Amino acid sequence: MAVTKELVGHLGWLSRINLTDEELERNTAQIEEIIKYLDKLDSIALSQAEPITTKKDFSELRDDNPQEFGSDPFRAAPRKDGYVKGPRMT
Amino acid sequence: MQLYRLDSAQVAAGIRNRDFSAEEYVQQLLERIEKVEPKVNAFITVTGGLALERARWLDRRIKDGEQVGPLAGVAVSIKDNICVNGTKTTCASKMLDNFVPPYDATVVKTLFDAGAILIGKTNLDEFAMGSTTEFSRKGATRNPWDIARVPGGSSGGSAASVAALECALSLGSDTGGSVRCPASFCSVVGLKPTYGLVSRYGLISYANSLEQIGPFGRTVADVSAMLNAIAGHDERDHTTAGGKQHYTSGSDKPLRIGIVKEFTEGADPDVSKIVYSSAEKLEGIGCKCDQVTCSSVEYALASYYTIATAEASSNLARYDNMRYGFEMTPEGYEWNSYFAKARSNFGEEVKRRIILGSYVLSSGYYGKYYLKAQQVRSVLRKDFASLFKQYDALIGPTMPILPFKIGEKLDDPLKMYLVDVDTVVANLTGMPAISVPAGFVGNLPVGLQIMADNFQEQTILDAASMLEKSAGIQRSPDL
Repeated sequence: MAVTKELVGHLGWLSRINLTDEELERNTAQIEEIIKYLDKLDSIALSQAEPITTKKDFSELRDDNPQEFGSDPFRAAPRKDGYVKGPRMT
Repeated sequence: MQLYRLDSAQVAAGIRNRDFSAEEYVQQLLERIEKVEPKVNAFITVTGGLALERARWLDRRIKDGEQVGPLAGVAVSIKDNICVNGTKTTCASKMLDNFVPPYDATVVKTLFDAGAILIGKTNLDEFAMGSTTEFSRKGATRNPWDIARVPGGSSGGSAASVAALECALSLGSDTGGSVRCPASFCSVVGLKPTYGLVSRYGLISYANSLEQIGPFGRTVADVSAMLNAIAGHDERDHTTAGGKQHYTSGSDKPLRIGIVKEFTEGADPDVSKIVYSSAEKLEGIGCKCDQVTCSSVEYALASYYTIATAEASSNLARYDNMRYGFEMTPEGYEWNSYFAKARSNFGEEVKRRIILGSYVLSSGYYGKYYLKAQQVRSVLRKDFASLFKQYDALIGPTMPILPFKIGEKLDDPLKMYLVDVDTVVANLTGMPAISVPAGFVGNLPVGLQIMADNFQEQTILDAASMLEKSAGIQRSPDL
């Protein structure tokens, strides 16, 4: 995937971030440069390497005991009838 | 007496022995903060009222002969991406402008249990993404040694607050060097513990397979005292692994030390000179220093920025302005357009990293970037494990360059990323690493980075305190 303005704009959309034309202009060139640097990963021998993983046994997880917070964590959110008010779905 | 100059052990002893009161000490610090903050801008929130209240409570307890903790009365600042119940925690971002956590991070609770007093929340790069604290939406923090220069980042406020004598200890977080970098640039001690030694419960996530909360202090003893308080298994963070010991700072046992060639050769010659002279000082007290090589470190930075941006793009998906955020009514927006507009309030660096993360995780490209980056981590782990069979510790410069001018690297993100080249390895492998002041070039600080195998923090503290004793580097500028 060549790093084009369209691609950056699309990735912005997928991440739900509006980018202005000016930002698209600036970021495309910078992101292209950074991706070129990350392409370094192509030049190391990795055939023998297993990716890092950690496994956790289900039995090691703690019990699911809910605890109340002392205060309202969403105090900033707009409310209606006790519910947090969100944008309209279309 | 200038109480703000005391280190944590001196403060704790002085308050316990009633040489001075906690209230007097906190009062002096608040005056100091008022005096130097216009130059340094280390704090986002100063919790003066709460600090004095707590100080008075402690003084009463001591007067009544009650038990107090080992850090009783010591003033601590905490990076503003660590949750403190009832105190605004903003991550230096618009997206958390109004966020008041309803709980304390585990590390905060352990510090309070130890008797520490929170004096304020410190400045950082937005969501901990950056190496200079310039990406903060609350203005840049300035290096107390030269206020035209950066203090490092992302925990720049934490390091600067300790260097500028605004508090004795601080907590930061280190994802790719964010504790060690500002420690080096500000001439203080900063430690990134082994991944899993310290609970991340309450640390607002940026890249959760890489980050650890780490202590700052003006001395190695400060850092080990803080580590003793915050380290340990936590039920609420299943990535904590135990491995805690009681940490001291003072063993003279000679160590076998490797100087990592790739780090010294990649650094400014003035910086490398100081690394070699530190090695000489350590040899002078009985350590054995050899040059070592590890060719896989060349790929560490690419691996880091792949993984960190990927994890960031996922971890920051939660900021939809619905649960926490800023004033923006949903009236007039439909579902997607609301979120897209709200999230355009991220700073530019954050947006850039989210987009990079989306790119490296995208279908068809996951194998080329993210998977390879995770494989590089296991190559690095294997290579360092075999080095640690022959050496107790590995050293090099913390930063390849001296603290640079504010604004100098803002237009070139890749140049900015390259300053992390020495620090990211420890985050990728999980191993502990410290930055300890090693010297100056002119008036600009240089830190020595010391790395050791997993859960060998004691070795690092020993090496760091040996250097500290023999080098006698100045810890706080005249401000």
